Amino acid sequence: MGRIIRHVILGFALLLAVSIAFTPSAQAAKEVKIGFSMALTGPLGPAGKAALLAMQIWRDDVNAKGGLLGRKVKLVYYDDQTKPANVPGIYAKLLDVDKVDFIVSGYGTNLIVPALPIAMERGMVFMGLFGLDANAKFKYNNYFQIMPAGPDPIVDWSVGFFELAAKQKPRPKTIALLSADAEFARNAVAGARRNAKKYGFKIVYDKRYPFPGTSDFTPILRAVKATNPDLFYVGSYPGGSVGIVKAAHEIKLEPKLFGGGMVGLQYTAIQMNLGKLLNGITDYWFWAPEKTLKFPGIEAFLAKYQKEAPKQKLDPLGYYLPPFAYAYVQLLGNAIEATKSFDQAKIGAYIRNNTHSTVVGKVKFGKNGEWATSRTFQVQLQNITSNKMSEFSKAGKMVVVYPEEFKSGELIYPYAKGK
Amino acid sequence: MSKERKLFLIVAAVLIVGAFLITTQMENRFYYKAAYVVLQYVVLATAWNILGGYTGYVNFGTAGFFAMGAYTAVALIKTWKPPLYLLLVMGGLVSGLLGLGIGYLTLRLKGVFFSIATLALAVVLQMLISNWSYVGGGAGTAILKPRSVPLFSNYDEFLFFVMASIAVVSVAVAWLIEKSWIGRGMAAIRDNEEAAECMGVPILKLKLFATTVSGALMGIAGAPFSYFVVYIEPTSAFHLDYAVNSLAMPMIGGTTTWMGPLVGAVLVGTAQQIATVTLSSEMNLLIVGSLLVGFVVFAPDGLVGLFGKIRSRLAGREA
Repeated sequence: MGRIIRHVILGFALLLAVSIAFTPSAQAAKEVKIGFSMALTGPLGPAGKAALLAMQIWRDDVNAKGGLLGRKVKLVYYDDQTKPANVPGIYAKLLDVDKVDFIVSGYGTNLIVPALPIAMERGMVFMGLFGLDANAKFKYNNYFQIMPAGPDPIVDWSVGFFELAAKQKPRPKTIALLSADAEFARNAVAGARRNAKKYGFKIVYDKRYPFPGTSDFTPILRAVKATNPDLFYVGSYPGGSVGIVKAAHEIKLEPKLFGGGMVGLQYTAIQMNLGKLLNGITDYWFWAPEKTLKFPGIEAFLAKYQKEAPKQKLDPLGYYLPPFAYAYVQLLGNAIEATKSFDQAKIGAYIRNNTHSTVVGKVKFGKNGEWATSRTFQVQLQNITSNKMSEFSKAGKMVVVYPEEFKSGELIYPYAKGK
Repeated sequence: MSKERKLFLIVAAVLIVGAFLITTQMENRFYYKAAYVVLQYVVLATAWNILGGYTGYVNFGTAGFFAMGAYTAVALIKTWKPPLYLLLVMGGLVSGLLGLGIGYLTLRLKGVFFSIATLALAVVLQMLISNWSYVGGGAGTAILKPRSVPLFSNYDEFLFFVMASIAVVSVAVAWLIEKSWIGRGMAAIRDNEEAAECMGVPILKLKLFATTVSGALMGIAGAPFSYFVVYIEPTSAFHLDYAVNSLAMPMIGGTTTWMGPLVGAVLVGTAQQIATVTLSSEMNLLIVGSLLVGFVVFAPDGLVGLFGKIRSRLAGREA
């Protein structure tokens, strides 16, 4: 028994030696270290890698200008594997072992929430990347989330779709709701349900499909078609979005307005897959190469991103997540420069009380660290003639039809006319 | 009580006191969080081994039992926020009852069919939880952990202490089973169930005991999970990792003794924690996969068996 224990201890010591060998050596004291976990593998891996590239571009931009308050920026990050259970340990390591100066979140609600209490305990500013109301329970005043979903994201997400529908003549009367049985999609459709009631549309179909695991959407859409809805609001994830668009064409499902909360239609690979089938669909969007959305710095950022992305096999155009991944660290960096301080409380107060200019436009935070007002666009896909990538990098293809302030074209109504 | 049993229980008590003393000395929270995960796997691997290693019934549904413990705790926290020890008791009770139910399945299912049934159970439970909106459903829910706890400077230290205590108790339970007539009966079932029955071993009672104790320990390990991770949703609570690791760790350590899962969980769990913050996660998965394949092929009795053989050879005896 004694020998076994000795061998176990020896094995343990070897592992520790390996860990020390791989631990980054003491960093130069002058660097500003920004730590985070990021999904580099697992379901969110491809998007997480694109976000990381955007953050690295920001780091290089800042360092080329001399860093933050004269100190070079260093990003310290670990792969959370899209597993929330890995997040608490990673942030503890970032803060207690790597001694980072700032922390920002990984990508997605599930991976933001486990880190939020750690930021709270240490009184640190915590920038969030695409969390849906992650701070609702914590109400932490130094949390700021960059996705422009607005103060009541579940309802605000679909409000544009319903406002557009309500303006049409003759006014549509009925709506079908379809959702994947998982977090975001259910929330999006829950908001749509409330908006449907608010705008007085009669719900004629309201069902969920198993997620993951549904590949053939034809029977589901036949059931939707049987109810003959004027509007069809869908909450789906990338694979499901592709299946739903293809099945809708196959069975000639033609509601007057179709789309809403379909994740994936914003990704270049899916756009190239669906091509002309996308015409006429109206969906939520965060950025598109339209003339109304040319915010300062966005084109320079995208040029750098698009040069590097193909080498790393990432989304080649990067319109969905990368600009926001750049913006959430850009905003933190700007706050450090503006306050001329590394003091977390001062930086938090500055971010909370000011409007910020970023590559994704003007940002002002409100309740629970979400955007003070929603800026979720409704985009209608129009005039797509091929599956080529160049098709989706031009203006006039992803036309902003809501809100009025950023509108770049008119809604083609009904959907069948825009197909 | 035999001398050996007394000594083992004294060591267990010393380890629990030691875990408490560590919390008074060490500040770095990363080590508490990393140690929590490793200790959680010590419990899961030990619990799995009571059924899989001692009795020979391979359970692929560890994630189901673990998540039932976690979600029992979530339901209670949402209702009246009882203290953690009650969450542990209730999590253990619910998963233990689930284990008892699975035990009755062994009347009809053996071998690979039993394993498939346990995997299916985890899938069915995940679907049920995904559709139970009170505990967050598919969208998940955030759980606020208590701000302070007496005797500990923060909740991370407390959770580490709790998991260390559960790990010590689990290993002690496995040891007590192994050294008693129950363990010998389970070994007889593993070797040949029919022959064991003919020899008068109460096989149904022992199998029910094994499934219940194994399930209960997994549930207890899951009960503090929501406080550890703060945000719980079905995909992470029912993650296949729990099933794979709780099976791989005893296989690597050795399935026939109490020490096998302990050694396997400490080595593999620590390696995974180190890999998460040093190497890439592909390496993390590669570690478990390669070790599992390597041990199954070259050392089917695990590390403990391997060291036993080496020791025998060194002593000049046949292994």
